[in-house]
Amino acid sequence: MKKFLMTLAFSLTALPAFASSEAHLEKVQVDTSPAALERGMDIVTSNCTGCHALKYIHYRDLLGMGVSKKKVDEMRGDKNMDATLVSAMPDDAAMSAFGKVPPDLSLMFNAREGRGNYTYTYLTAFYKKPDGSLDNHVFPGVKMPDALGYSEAADDKQRADIKAQAKDVVSFLAWAADPHEQERLLFGKYIMGYLVLLTGMLYVLKKKIWARLD
Amino acid sequence: MFNQIIDWVDQRFPLTAFVKHELTGYPTPRNLSYWWNFGFLAGFVLVMQVATGIFLAMHYKADSALAFDSIQHIMRDVNYGWLLRYLHATGASAFFFVIFIHMARTLYYGSYRKPRELLWWTGQGLLLLLMGTAFMGYLLPWGQMSYWGATVITNLFGASPILGHEIVIWLRGDFTVGDETLSRFFALHYLFPFIIVGAVIIHLVALHTVKSSNPSGIDLAAKDNIPFHPYFTIKDLFGLGLFMMLYTWFAFFTPNTLIEAANNIPANPMSTPSHIVPEWYFLPFYAILRSVPNALGGVVAMGLSVLIFAFMPYLDRSRIPGGARYRPWYRILFYGFTVDILFLGWIGFVPPTDSTILYGKIATILYFLMFLSLPLFSRAEERMMIKRGLPPALQAMIDSESKGKGK
Repeated sequence: MKKFLMTLAFSLTALPAFASSEAHLEKVQVDTSPAALERGMDIVTSNCTGCHALKYIHYRDLLGMGVSKKKVDEMRGDKNMDATLVSAMPDDAAMSAFGKVPPDLSLMFNAREGRGNYTYTYLTAFYKKPDGSLDNHVFPGVKMPDALGYSEAADDKQRADIKAQAKDVVSFLAWAADPHEQERLLFGKYIMGYLVLLTGMLYVLKKKIWARLD
Repeated sequence: MFNQIIDWVDQRFPLTAFVKHELTGYPTPRNLSYWWNFGFLAGFVLVMQVATGIFLAMHYKADSALAFDSIQHIMRDVNYGWLLRYLHATGASAFFFVIFIHMARTLYYGSYRKPRELLWWTGQGLLLLLMGTAFMGYLLPWGQMSYWGATVITNLFGASPILGHEIVIWLRGDFTVGDETLSRFFALHYLFPFIIVGAVIIHLVALHTVKSSNPSGIDLAAKDNIPFHPYFTIKDLFGLGLFMMLYTWFAFFTPNTLIEAANNIPANPMSTPSHIVPEWYFLPFYAILRSVPNALGGVVAMGLSVLIFAFMPYLDRSRIPGGARYRPWYRILFYGFTVDILFLGWIGFVPPTDSTILYGKIATILYFLMFLSLPLFSRAEERMMIKRGLPPALQAMIDSESKGKGK
């Protein structure tokens, strides 16, 4: 019975994993420290929000992420705390420049097969073709410019720096896609602990009650 | 004071008698294994889904312009909205998980056999209602997979002869899946669970008429039946604890693995995802649909693959009790079927290639062949077993239980 349950549970978890087998994505470990999130936010607001919006992130959410009130005030200027991180580029300007509106980044972390690994690999997969034009290994025919400048990197040190930046970006986007994740994981640990205790006691009680039958 | 109130009620409503007959004193075979826990678990998940669903509905907007945003509003701004939503989304998978095991137990032990045919058929009806509810609920987040999944499935009805096109429009309320479809699916997604509750009551009335089956497949003598409470209330609660751990694991630690990546992109009628997959619980049936080259044939095969379970009481002609427990050939068939349906699930998941289409066809033929060969197969097995003599354990069980009944 245990074996059968395990097989079923396994098939439940394993099926979605097949999905990411298409592209060879580099694995990235999301950094949940406030410092990494803030670094990632800085990179995103200076390199990405020129064209991309994060329409589900309000300035007040950044306070919750751990950014200081002073910095958020500087970022938002005369905008309301409840304003969202819109892109600097109007939609019609984007349409004429790229032929499409760049996708919103709030949910980008979860919105691609391979999740964060996709975004990480994508950001560091830009390269120059022999004719000097730009392309991307993960997304051939890409229209987005090489925002972090990976294709321009001169040496390995610079490339490592850019990879670290990409990791911070992904960490920030992970937070943006699911701001309550840390709270959820904490809840999960407490609930699991409680269930282990409760189920253990129920087992003992079950044994005791069934012993009456012997 | 309390007794007076109960007396007052009892003179007007059979409260005490009901609790005594159907719960505290309800005779239950003492040899039930943990495989008999899953009906209770299904009932628990149903209550859980209704409870979380009602609170989600308070914050959700069934409007194609607002639906996707309202889910994000729930996930980000509503107090513990993320908790409600992840419990509900994971709950759908949990529901099918326990129902599939509940069905597998019935098939393994032959619990569908006389006199439990109606019990099995009400269960079959519940499965269809559950599938309908889950399918309509999946449209509500209004993501890419929601939209295109609903488009593909409603399109299937276009294969119906003559009226196909009209049926598709009637279901969608429009020429394509759109705002009309979303609002009607939401209304029905809210209604269906209450029909399910009604059907569960019928299922339980049937159960309490014929009583629980048990691993031996023989109706046990009175001495081997024990009151439901406290023996099975505590056993069900312990099982619930184990189940809740698995559920908690998915809902709190990996809830997003059960949500398709593409469903984090708002529905876009102008852009079809490269690969449309249904939720895991529909995959085997989806694979059967895709394995039949003809559109109408595929739809019929898919419908039949779900409905064929209802014929089990007549397909299985063996009179040997205990299902796969005492029947060696049927046991092989059961495990073969389990492997086949899991394999079909995998076929339904991967993007179709020449080889997976071929494997899918073979697995589909095997799927139906296992059901259709059962009348001959079970008869031959019965003859073989009678000729060789019943397993000693089974023979001893039959003797002791029939003795007990005589008294």
